[in-house]
Amino acid sequence: MNKFLGNKIAITLFIAPALLLFTVLVFWPIVQVFYRSMFEWDGLTEGTFIFLDNYKRMFEDSLFYTSLYNGLIFAVILAVLQISIGTVLALTVSDGLIKGRKILRISYFIPVVLSITVVCQLWLAMYNGEYGLINKIFEALGLSYRQDWLTDSKTAIFAIALVNAWQYMGYHFALLLAAARSIPEQYMEAAKIDGAERWKAHWKVTIPLMAETYKFCLVLAITGGLNAFANMYIMTGGGPGTSTYTLTYMMYRSAFRVGEFGYGSASAAFLVIECLIVTFAINRLIARDRIVY
Amino acid sequence: MKKAMSILLSSVLMFSLAACGGGNDANESADTPANGGEEQTTTLRIYAQYSDEDTKGYYDYAVAELAKEMPNVKLDLEVQAQDDGQKLKSYAATGNLPDIFNAGQDQINLFRKSNNILQLDEYAKKANFEEKMQPSALNTLYSDDQHIYAFPYAGNEFVLLYYNKELFEQNNVKVPTTKEELVTAIQTFQSKGITPMSVFAKEKWITTALYDIFATRYEPKGIKGLDTGETKPSDEAYTKAAQDLIDLVKAGMLPKGVTNLNYDQAAALFHEGKAAMFVNGQWEVEASTKALGDKAGYMYYPAPTAELYEQNKLAFSGGGSPGGFAVSANTKHKDLAAEVASFMALKYAEFKYTQKGSPIVATQVDKEAEKEFDPMMVTLSEDIPNITSTTAFAWGLSNAKFKAAIEDASQNLLVDGYSAEQFISDLESALK
Amino acid sequence: MWMKIRRKQPFFQIFLWLYALVSVYPLIWMLFYSFKDNNEIFVTNPFGFPKKLRFENYVSAMTEFNVPKYFLNSVFVSVVTVIGTIAIALLFAYAVARMRFRGKTLAQMYIVIGMFVPVQVIMIPLAILVRDFNLTNTYWSLILPYIAFNVSFSTMVFYGFFRSVPFDLEEAACIDGANIYQTFYRIMLPLVTPAIATMVIFVFLAAWNEFPIALMLISDEDLKTLPLGLLFFQGQFTTDWGAMGAAMTIASLPTVLVYILFSEQVEKAMTVGSAVKG
Repeated sequence: MNKFLGNKIAITLFIAPALLLFTVLVFWPIVQVFYRSMFEWDGLTEGTFIFLDNYKRMFEDSLFYTSLYNGLIFAVILAVLQISIGTVLALTVSDGLIKGRKILRISYFIPVVLSITVVCQLWLAMYNGEYGLINKIFEALGLSYRQDWLTDSKTAIFAIALVNAWQYMGYHFALLLAAARSIPEQYMEAAKIDGAERWKAHWKVTIPLMAETYKFCLVLAITGGLNAFANMYIMTGGGPGTSTYTLTYMMYRSAFRVGEFGYGSASAAFLVIECLIVTFAINRLIARDRIVY
Repeated sequence: MKKAMSILLSSVLMFSLAACGGGNDANESADTPANGGEEQTTTLRIYAQYSDEDTKGYYDYAVAELAKEMPNVKLDLEVQAQDDGQKLKSYAATGNLPDIFNAGQDQINLFRKSNNILQLDEYAKKANFEEKMQPSALNTLYSDDQHIYAFPYAGNEFVLLYYNKELFEQNNVKVPTTKEELVTAIQTFQSKGITPMSVFAKEKWITTALYDIFATRYEPKGIKGLDTGETKPSDEAYTKAAQDLIDLVKAGMLPKGVTNLNYDQAAALFHEGKAAMFVNGQWEVEASTKALGDKAGYMYYPAPTAELYEQNKLAFSGGGSPGGFAVSANTKHKDLAAEVASFMALKYAEFKYTQKGSPIVATQVDKEAEKEFDPMMVTLSEDIPNITSTTAFAWGLSNAKFKAAIEDASQNLLVDGYSAEQFISDLESALK
Repeated sequence: MWMKIRRKQPFFQIFLWLYALVSVYPLIWMLFYSFKDNNEIFVTNPFGFPKKLRFENYVSAMTEFNVPKYFLNSVFVSVVTVIGTIAIALLFAYAVARMRFRGKTLAQMYIVIGMFVPVQVIMIPLAILVRDFNLTNTYWSLILPYIAFNVSFSTMVFYGFFRSVPFDLEEAACIDGANIYQTFYRIMLPLVTPAIATMVIFVFLAAWNEFPIALMLISDEDLKTLPLGLLFFQGQFTTDWGAMGAAMTIASLPTVLVYILFSEQVEKAMTVGSAVKG
């Protein structure tokens, strides 16, 4: 067996293409980011080596803390909403007891298929204080409360996170559905009982069997949240003021709006390390042994 | 469509030429009748705005003129992206800058440091560009090191505070000159369900301009003074102006959710008579006149006191900055690219003057305007010689760090929970 | 049996269908949007059926840039990206998840780093690499970075699926005299088809909708992909939102169709997958 699974030539053949491409096109540029984060550099000229001064400056920059905080909020909202709703929907659709499951299955994924520009434009219209649908719904329900979430510096980040959570829930749904469908039939039988009992069975049997899938869903949601950029770029431009900045946005601002590539690289480097730590922690917390049937 | 047509046309041309050539393909190009030896066409890459009616008009006009003047030059257009110069920058980093590109102050500053932009002094001399400039717009030709890096066309533009005369009359509101009167106006309009002032504050350059309006009431140098270091954020004027803006926002000057209004939404409020005032550059004259006719006008910016109002009445916000068509330092056709760049700049100005009804251009235009100037434009051009000072638009600020900071901070002034002190300290830390 | 459930959980049923409706609405909204002008989009009628069907939006979307050409480019780039990504990610994930060699955990962690890197961060180093490899203005300048970026997540997903396949399968294959390549191809691949089918959709969408890299690296008109068409509508001050909506509709409807057709395959693959395993 050892010879079979330890076949050196096969291993090399299997891992070389991915390693090669990844190293050249992704890893090498990242190395450059770390290297350049120690320079005062405009992206074009030679630049001056200043070692850790960019980091020192960053840790004194209030924008850095706003960005860090927003990234964490984003990550938590994504993780909680996407995975919980994704689980409920995926398990429901997978157990074959629901009528119209094909339509449901297709519908839940539709927002993912659309481009992020379309979805952001839609939600801009929804959140609009004057003509927005959400306020119209409040009005119809007879509530006097009127939201203005996107333009309030305290709520804007939540409002944006909600949009992202909603759009990409379909990813988690699809992944969890694929996982649920990969569970051998006899385990699913147990979950085919009725009502509340059924969810208890899922909780005890099905969900633990999908631990590996949960692991990467969690990584996807959290790193996606920490990295968030496009949503705020389209919806608020980081505003009002700087209240919806994330580390990626801060990098973008430093590198392109201000022309301080070195400083931008420092926030990018910090982001990469932050994500690595989170992934490492997730891998530790969720049992990484293979599931034994 | 135009592009497709021109491709079609040129391929038809190619085909017919080939057909004429018949058997002697080899010397075909030498045989074709042409004006001298300069027969070969050169294609230049150009990076310019081409994304709405307005910018398309300019480009198409200039290209049509170019075809008459220099038929041997073909332009290969790349549409400018709204990406904070990301694309140009990565072009520069890879040595792939287009031969001609539309450059603003920030690109000029960055690219001259890294030797990506061609210094155009000689070429400008050859083209007699300086003589063609409006004397008042020379500030848009020379960068702060007294060299030329781009051929300007826009001229010195201004921030205007537009208002709907009819709404003011109907509601018996005096056109405000002081902060107090402005507050009264705000209250009256609010009670009538009219938005007092519309601003597309999703864009941060306009929030900067809005702040600058108030700052220039105390200190005519406005944000430009901070940019050049002549004034400091800790100067009383800047705190007071921030406080004024905060007070007015609290009084309800701006519509709800203003920081998320884009141009189309904010302009619709004003154009449809739902908002009494509107802030934009003077290029808005055309659109506002089209929507409101002679009901549209502009007022001098209200000031904290009547005294300051009179004193700084003609201290305008806005102004020109170096920028326009620039040439890559690595182009293979330096002379030709510079020639075309200066030609394009002249034609852009010509189009603005003759077709868009605006006398505010960088260069002198010797053609007659085909469109009569809108009344507001007439008033403005009467005001222009008397203008005592100007500042800059956000894109004309030379300190990029300060520019980003004031853009963010001025937008923040329009929402709850941000104080004048925070505003000043944010500016200070950017200017450190 | 589902009758019982329906009777017992009406609220849950309503929730399921309501959520489906909320998910499909943006598609309808986009269609409406693409027939409106700016005023209707922002002020008079942001949500309802367009008051007037402005086909001119489609006309300007179609004439502004070469839609068929951009479309074919998008198809080519996306399809090659999908094939490339899935192939190399499967190989890598299999080796790391089930074969025996030192440093495999490290290799897996290494590749996952790709998930954390916002593309804006590495744009300029990437542009320089593309130039140094003489790939500027070729399809490869998009395809190779797309594969490299998508390989991280695909690997992670495949890894998870390979890990949950019982280990005695290989033992059995080994005893039967199959070599490692046959085992991988004939036994392991069919078991992870649900994951493959899912990732095909994911990677396709990622490549199809990708904007920043394409904007940065492609200037040749002949190579532009659909998302770049949006550039033609977004001006410095104003944007022709209706025409942009039309362009977006043209760009997204095929993906919706591809998804609907393909998800059927996913479903079939899943059924086969679980049957084999069960």
